[in-house]
This record gives sequence, structure tokens and C-alpha cells, in this order.
Amino acid sequence: MLDSYLSALGYMASNPFTFLLIIFSVVWGIAFGSIPGLTGIVGVALLIPFTFAFDPIEGLLLLGGVYVGSTFGGSISAILFNTPGSPEAACTALDGYPMARKGQAGKALGIALAASAIGGIFGTVVLMVAAPPLARLALEFGPPEYFALAVLGITAIASIGNGSVLKALMAGLLGLGVATIGLDPLTGMPRFTFGSMMLLTGVGFVPAIIGIFALAEVLQRFGEGPQKGYVIDDVSTELPTIGEFIQTRITLLRSSVIGTVIGALPGVGATTAAFIAYSEASRWSRHPEKFGTGVPEGIAAPESANNAAVGGSMIPLLALGIPGSATTAVMIGGLTIHGIIPGPQLMQTNSDLVYSVFIGMMLANLLMLLVGVRMARYFALVLKAPYALVGPAIVVLCMTGVYALQNNVVDLAVMLVFGVVGFAMRRFGFPVASFIIGLVLGPIAELSLRQGLMLSDYDVTAFVTRPIAGTLLLFSAASLVYGLVGQFLRARRKLNGDTGPDTSEEAKA
Amino acid sequence: MFPIQSMRAALMVAAVGSVLAAMPARADDYPSRTVEAIHQFGPGGGTDRFIRAIGDPFQTITGQTLVPISVQGGGGVPAAVTFMQRPSDGYNLMAVGPEQVINHVLGRMNIDELQPIARIQYDQGLFLVSKDSPFKSVEDLIKTAREKPGSLKVAVTGTAGFDDALVGLWNLKSGAELTTVPFSASEMVSNTLGGHVDLMYEEYGPARGLIESGDLRPLVLFSEFRLPVLGDVPTAAELGFDVTLGRWRGFAMHASDDEANANAMFSILDQAAASQSYKTIEKESGLQFRSKILGPKQFKEFMQHEVEIYTDILKQLGYVD
Repeated sequence: MLDSYLSALGYMASNPFTFLLIIFSVVWGIAFGSIPGLTGIVGVALLIPFTFAFDPIEGLLLLGGVYVGSTFGGSISAILFNTPGSPEAACTALDGYPMARKGQAGKALGIALAASAIGGIFGTVVLMVAAPPLARLALEFGPPEYFALAVLGITAIASIGNGSVLKALMAGLLGLGVATIGLDPLTGMPRFTFGSMMLLTGVGFVPAIIGIFALAEVLQRFGEGPQKGYVIDDVSTELPTIGEFIQTRITLLRSSVIGTVIGALPGVGATTAAFIAYSEASRWSRHPEKFGTGVPEGIAAPESANNAAVGGSMIPLLALGIPGSATTAVMIGGLTIHGIIPGPQLMQTNSDLVYSVFIGMMLANLLMLLVGVRMARYFALVLKAPYALVGPAIVVLCMTGVYALQNNVVDLAVMLVFGVVGFAMRRFGFPVASFIIGLVLGPIAELSLRQGLMLSDYDVTAFVTRPIAGTLLLFSAASLVYGLVGQFLRARRKLNGDTGPDTSEEAKA
Repeated sequence: MFPIQSMRAALMVAAVGSVLAAMPARADDYPSRTVEAIHQFGPGGGTDRFIRAIGDPFQTITGQTLVPISVQGGGGVPAAVTFMQRPSDGYNLMAVGPEQVINHVLGRMNIDELQPIARIQYDQGLFLVSKDSPFKSVEDLIKTAREKPGSLKVAVTGTAGFDDALVGLWNLKSGAELTTVPFSASEMVSNTLGGHVDLMYEEYGPARGLIESGDLRPLVLFSEFRLPVLGDVPTAAELGFDVTLGRWRGFAMHASDDEANANAMFSILDQAAASQSYKTIEKESGLQFRSKILGPKQFKEFMQHEVEIYTDILKQLGYVD
């Protein structure tokens, strides 16, 4: 194995061009990630024709760097403008933007950047040392396991946010409901499309989050009128100190593991990983009620998870030839054109390629730290402009981006509608996080439940008798019961007039 | 190690070759700007790559670009609606395949509004099982499926689409009834390898890596003849079941488009599909076996024939009455 690394390093050292490619690709990736509507997938797809002119190794390094950069890039606009530049970063906006509004934009960006790099490096290390066994583990995940995973994430709906549980549940159910619009995933019949041919695509995740975050924010800010003290002009990105780093180490580690594993599962990727990591971070936190108000863990969890998922999704790609995410699926297309057949033999027959990619992704993650600090600073300059100019510009950018994504006019309507929905939700204290989690995990839960039932000939016990699925479901149930009991105890103590710290139950967790 | 130079040289050779070949076809200055091809799949997917692969020689031949426009989801209906709203000026193409025929049969679009131009790719698919599967041959599979109809699950991609129609036709012809369970392309493979489903349906190209490594075992091929690279895999026709449906890809214009433009476009696509750069990609994708280019007239007949076949299948499956 060491030989392979040395030979790959030798190849890269003799081709300084490869390093230029990595630098270019990370910058390109961050730029694509940070602009709403231009996702990492588009960034990769656009570069594929250029890779024809390169060696396969150079081509794959280019695509891998874009993938790494774009996964972080989305968080810049999510933190600064509440406008997630890519779906992976939607979760980062939940705590990143509130922190920025508190005047700590630089700190929020720093946490996102450091967490991204840590998660990315973690995912890459796992990819380097354990790709084949982890790919085999991913094969153990059938529909029941996907269902259990989605349920685990959905149960967090009730515990997120500091408002009422009832409102959180209502928002979550609304998200689950909206996710059913479009073609039925198993029978192909239209559901809740009201005869619209264009609505058959369903409510797209990107248009919905752009509406609910970005547009709602613009509406909110214009509703408030010009206000002093709201101006974020702290444009310097500060990486977290060692002390802060140690404080979030458990969150970082847990989220990186979650991200790598979920990334390695085919069909679910960085977005799901970010939300499940966020759910778990709030579940295990001593102060879950503070999530959504700008806590460091709320940024560190999704950012480390979504970048760890990048390495994770390369696992089945390189070990089995199965793409772990939409972006890696595009990469497979690029490889095929070079005459490289992705499959289990890739690591033997093209070891130079595989090991160069390992090294390249490692470099890309380190470079991201350097480039990210710079690029975030330029982005933050926009904040110096008055919001009366920035706000409309954000709306125009979002509308262009949302339309460009799928060339579907209905997506624009969806964005506008969800802008109003998001505005109303905030106005009346419904947590946006619950709604988005329902929207992301609902389709996975529905599809895998129905697939699993078809496979087991409608025997429900198949979901609890399988070890992985059973454990995950048991854990979800236990966590719900624990949460309910905790709430009951809190409510009773309040009745008894006890004003002591009401987080003591969580402290034990 | 001089990729840029070698590419330039290759482009020049291709350009000279294609200019020579292109001369008689270009009656006037059509196409004089970018041509857009609408399709229903994601960026980077098989159809997107197909358009880009044709777009490369297309540019050398015409000096204009051919750009794929992806309008995803909704079983291809939004893509068709978007295409129909665009002007019939010869600069809007639609990438067509069995999905359009199926949507036509289901009453979700009308392919008579399309003017077929060229069918370029014609793929062939296989039933595949994991290497740990108890089914060593297609006979094993048929035996179990006939004993317990519907108990075997076959993973497919898409919903009420081409894969469903193919399995439906197999069920009707063979009496070895299988139940389809739709997955995304990658989950279909992972669920088959992980033993969560009994078998899967996939085209040869995407499955090739796992066939060569021995992780997936091909049982039966759907084509008129065996593949030279899989000499010992029987065709369904050999077993007495007439199932040769395959996924195909081509281009169409609006029915109201100028016929002269349609003919000019066919001649460009014909040259593009014969170019070295496209042929290489075709071969790397395992599409060289059945792909024979069909011109506007033949393609139209082919599509009409497909409509009859799919109407028949979807009727028997109960999707239409």
C-alpha cells in the first residue's frame, strides 16, 4: 500500500500541473457551492468535457476538488445571507445565520471552515484505510435500514427549537406532507399536483429551502425596516481557538462518523448526513433548546458531516463502482469516457488513479482552509453595502439560480410560496428546522418503507428483526420516550415552583 | 504527457475530416447558432452524457454548439411540456427514448407532435444476480418464478417506465412472474449485491465493471443475438420468449419544424455519430452492439412500432384500458 502511495505521489510530483488543477478546482467548487442554484453537481458536470483533454487522474483530481470545495462553499452564503448556496448547506443556515446576526459572522465562518476541513479529512482518511470493508458494510443497508435511519432523524423534530413541541411537530408534519407532492415514487401516479403537468416533479428541495431561508429573510428584513446594530461588518474569518475546538470535539467526531457512514450509503448523501448530524447534535446536547439561536455545535455538526460525506460517497464509487451520491454518479460518467470501468477491480487495475485521488482529496481539504478564509472575506465585503441594495440582489440571484437548476418555472412559484411560508413560520414561532427535516427525510422514509414492505411481502416484523434496522428503531423509540418523560418532569417542576436549572436531565445524557 | 497538444492535434484531424465530409450536407447556413436539446434526466446522467458526446463532433462539423437542457423528474412530462412551449425554429431538439413512447401510451404526451430525426443509440439489458445468489442459470430463475409466481423481486430503475414494461413483457411471455421494486440506479446495485432483492435489470454498459469482477452474474440477455463479450449468456429469444426490447436514444424536433432543417440536422447527426470521438465513447459505454443509426423515416416507423408494443404491454399490465 505504501508503494502505491509513493508511486502516486511520484506521479503527482512529476506533474506539477496536477497541483494547479487542485487549486483551481477548490476555488471553482467554493464559488459554485456559494451561489444558489449552482450546485456542486452542476460544477462537476460542467467540467467533465474539459477532463477529456486531461489524463484520467488529472480529470478525477479536478472533479474531486470541485466536490470538496462546493460542499463547503454553500455555507458561506448560508451564514452571511441566510441563503444556502447548495442543499448540503441548508442545515448550516439554521445556526450559522443567527450567529452572524449576533455580530459573529467571522466566528461562524471560521467554525464552518474548520469543521468542514476536519470532517473532510476524517472522511478521506476513512476512505484511504477502510474503503473495501466499509463498502461491504454499506451493502448491509437495505430498505428497512434506510427507513430506520430516516425515522431516527425525524424523531429529532420534536426536540429541536426552543418553542412549543406542538408547533415543532406541526412544522415537521407539514414538511412530511409537502414531500408527498409529485409523482408517487412506486406507482408513478400523480399526487396533489392539481392537474399541473409541471408540478409532477414535486416540490424541489432547493427551491423550497431558498424560499424558506433566503426569501423569507429578505421579507423579514424589509418588514423590520432599517435598523441599527444589525449590521454585520465583522468580515475577518477567525478559525476557532484550541479551547473552542476541544469544546466541540465530541460533536465533530460524532458528526464526522455519521457523515462518512451516510455518505457511503448509495442514494443518500451530504444533505441527509448534515441533517442527521444536526439532529443528533441537538439530541445529545446539554442545551438542545439553544439550537437555532446560533450555537457553535449547530454549525460544526452539519459542516463536518457534509464534508465527511464527500469522502464517504467516494467509498462505494472506488470500491464497488457504485456512486454514493449524485455528484459521484456524474464522476462515474466522466471516468467511463476515459475508458476506465468503475468496479471492484478499479483499486487493483488503476491503483495510481485511486491513490492519487486519495492524496488529491487530502490536499483539497487543506487548501480549502487557506482558500476558504480568503474567499469568505471577499464575500463578506458585500455586507458593507446597505441591505436595501443587497436584499433585492439576493432575490434576483435566487430566482435566477432556482430557475437555472431545473429549467422548470414551477420551481420559481415554489420558491415564492415557500418564501411566504417561511416568513409566516418565523412570525408565528414555528421552527423552520423541523419543517426542513420533514422535507428532506420524508421521501427517504416513505420510499424505503414501501420498498421494504414489498420485499418482505408486507410483513412488518421484517423492519424490527433485522439487527441494524431494529437497533436504530429501538433507539429512536427510546429517545422519544426519554424526551417525553423529560418534558413531563420539567412541566411538573414548573408547577411546583422550582426555578432551578431546567436542563439537569439532559446534563446526564 | 502533453494532453493539450495532443487534443489540439486530434481536433484538427477531426475538423479537417469532418469539413470534407460535411460539405454536401450544408445547404444553407443552418444551424447558425446554438442548438438546445431538452431531456428529462439529471446533468451527468446517461442521456446528458449522450448529448454531450454527440455535441463534441457536432461542434467540429457545424461550428455551433449542441447544449443539453435538463428538465428533470415527473416521469419526463415536465421536459415534454417545456419542449412543446419552445418555438419550432429548428434550434430546439428533444432527446427521445422509450419514456416518450410510454408517456404517449399513458396519455401524458402526444408523440405525434414530434418529428423524429435520428435514433442513434440502441442498448441491450440483462437480468443479473449477485454472485452469492442460488440462481446459477436462467433456468433456475424460471423454475422458482413459475413455482411461486411473483415471489421473486427484481430491482429496476424508474417507476412505471421502461424497466417495468420490459419485466412486464418478460412475465407475459415466460410465465415466470417477477415483481418489480423501483430503486435509484445506485441503490438498485447495492441492494442486489447486498442480497436484499433477488435480481436486477440493467443495461450492459453500467453493469460491466461488476460483471467483469464476478460480483454480478448475468443470467439472460434481451437482444436479437448474444453479445460477443458475454458469449455464454443466452438471449431470451433463444429460450423461446420474444423479449428484445432495449433502451434507445435519439433526437426529435417539433412536428411543425421545417423538413429541410430536419434533413439537414439528420445529416449532421449522422456524421457526428460516425465520428471517431463519438465511436470511442459509444464503445466505452458498451453501446456498440445494436446501435445502428436510423433516419427520420425509419425512426418514425420504429417509434410507431414501439407504440404498438408498449400499448400492448401496458394494456396487459393494467396501466391503460
